[in-house]
Amino acid sequence: MSVVITGMGLYTPLGRGVEATFEALCTGRSGLARPPADHPAAGSLEVAGLLPAIDPRSVSSGPDTRVLDRIVLLALLTAADALADAGVEVGRDVAAERAAVIVGGVGGLSTLETQVLTRAARGRAGVSPYLLTGVLPNMPSARIAIRHGIRGYSSSVGTACASGVQAVADAVRLLQTGEADVVLCGASEAPLFPTFADTFGNARALARGWADPTAASRPFDLRRNGFVLAEGAALLVLENAAHAAARGATGYAEIAGYGVTTDAYHPTAPRPDGTGAAESIRRALAGGRVPVAEVGYVNAHGTGTTLGDIAETTALTEVFGANGVPVSSTKALTGHLLGASGVLETAATALALGRGLLPPTWNLDDPDPACPADHIRKEPRATETGYALTNSFGFGGQNVSLLLARATRPPT
Amino acid sequence: MRAEIRAFVVEQLTDMNYDVEGIDDDATLGPAGVDLESLALADLAVRVEDQYGLTFAEEESEKLALMTVGEFTTMVANRVAGAPGDQS
Repeated sequence: MSVVITGMGLYTPLGRGVEATFEALCTGRSGLARPPADHPAAGSLEVAGLLPAIDPRSVSSGPDTRVLDRIVLLALLTAADALADAGVEVGRDVAAERAAVIVGGVGGLSTLETQVLTRAARGRAGVSPYLLTGVLPNMPSARIAIRHGIRGYSSSVGTACASGVQAVADAVRLLQTGEADVVLCGASEAPLFPTFADTFGNARALARGWADPTAASRPFDLRRNGFVLAEGAALLVLENAAHAAARGATGYAEIAGYGVTTDAYHPTAPRPDGTGAAESIRRALAGGRVPVAEVGYVNAHGTGTTLGDIAETTALTEVFGANGVPVSSTKALTGHLLGASGVLETAATALALGRGLLPPTWNLDDPDPACPADHIRKEPRATETGYALTNSFGFGGQNVSLLLARATRPPT
Repeated sequence: MRAEIRAFVVEQLTDMNYDVEGIDDDATLGPAGVDLESLALADLAVRVEDQYGLTFAEEESEKLALMTVGEFTTMVANRVAGAPGDQS
C-alpha cells in the first residue's frame, strides 16, 4: 500500500507556503538574519532563522490564549495550510475517526521559561493555571485535533531533531497498517529564547563570528563552525494512495520507505563511523525495495557542525560508495529548525523530485575533504531521478531516513 | 472600594480574553453568564487573591461559578473590609 504526500504546510524562515520555500532553495535566498535588538534572544544569538511576530489572538481565542506557546500557534497555522493545500476537510473528505495527527518537537519551552521567571518575580500568582495547556509537547497535535475535529490516533514525538521525520515515519506506519486514511504529521519548533539559545551557545554548537549572517550556516564547508538556530513549523498531509486517488489527488511524492535506528553511543555526538545513520538509510531503501543505484538525491541532515557533517558523509559513502549520490543540505538557507527541519527537508525533497530540480548547498565554497561527496553547490542541478532520500538525526543518537519516490512511480 | 474591585475584576476578565463589555452585576460567572470554565475561574481567583491579599477556601472556589459578578464583587469587598464574606 502506497503512501503519498498530498498537502504541505510550511512556515519557516524562508517564508510561508510551497512556492516561497522552493523558490528560496533554488535561488539562494537566505532566511537567516541577525535578531533585532528587541528580540528576547538578541543577546544570545548572533544569527537566527526568525519568523514574524504572531499575535496569539489572531490564531486563537479564549482565556488560555496568553500562554499558548509559539509552537502551538505555528502548528495551528501550518495545519490549516496543509489541509487546505491537500484539499482535505475532516468530516467531508475523511471520516473524523479515520484522520490522525502526529506532531513532534521539544515542547513549548519558551513560555515555560517566561512563567518560571514570572514566578520567581511574583510568586505563585504569576503562574497561569493554563500553563500546561499551552506548552506540553502534545499540545500542537491536540489543538490541531480540536480545531479540525480529528478523532483518530493522535500523538507527539520527542526524538529531538529527528522528531518531525519520525512523526512522518509513524504516520506511514499508521497508514500501512490501516489505522488511518489521512494523517497530518510533522513538527513545530520555537527555540529562539535565551535559555535554549545559551545552552547551544555554551556547548559551542552555534555558528559564530560571521559578519554576514547569511554566510553563517555552511554545511560541509571547510570553514563551518556550527549550526544556526531557527524556528518554524512544517506539517504534511499523508494519505493512503487509494484514498487520495479516489478523490482525484495525485500528491507531491510517495513516501516509499523509512528507516529508524539508534546509535546507542553518546547523548549528543553521533557515532563517528556513521553506522547508525547508514543502517537507517539501508532500512529506508529496503522498505521501498529500491536498489541503491536508483537513488538520485540525498537531502542531508547537514547542520554545519564539524562532527555531524563528517559522520553523515561517512554514512553516505558507506551506503552509496564514494561520490555515489548527489547530496545537498538546505540548512545553509533555513538554519536548523530542530524537529521541524526534517519535515521541511522532506517537503523540499518531494518538490525537487516532482520538479526535476535539486537545490544546492549554498555557502559551500570550499568542501571539507573530510566530507567527501557529490556535493550539489553554487546552483541547482537538473535531474530525472525517481527516488530521493532525506536524513534527520537527533540528540540521543536518533537516526531517521525517509525514501521518497516521484508521485508518478509505476505500481509495484 | 467596591467600584474599584469591580473594575479590577472586569479588567482581569478582559485580559483573559472574555468579552465583558457592558456586563451587568446579575450575570453569573459560570455558564449562562460570563461563561468562565473551571480553569478560568481558578485563574480569576488567583488574580484577585494576589491583588487583595485574600485566600479563597477550596469550597468557596467551587461555588464561584454560581455567583454573579455582583455577588463576587461584594464578597471580595467585604473580605477586603474585614467583614465576613458572602459565602452562601
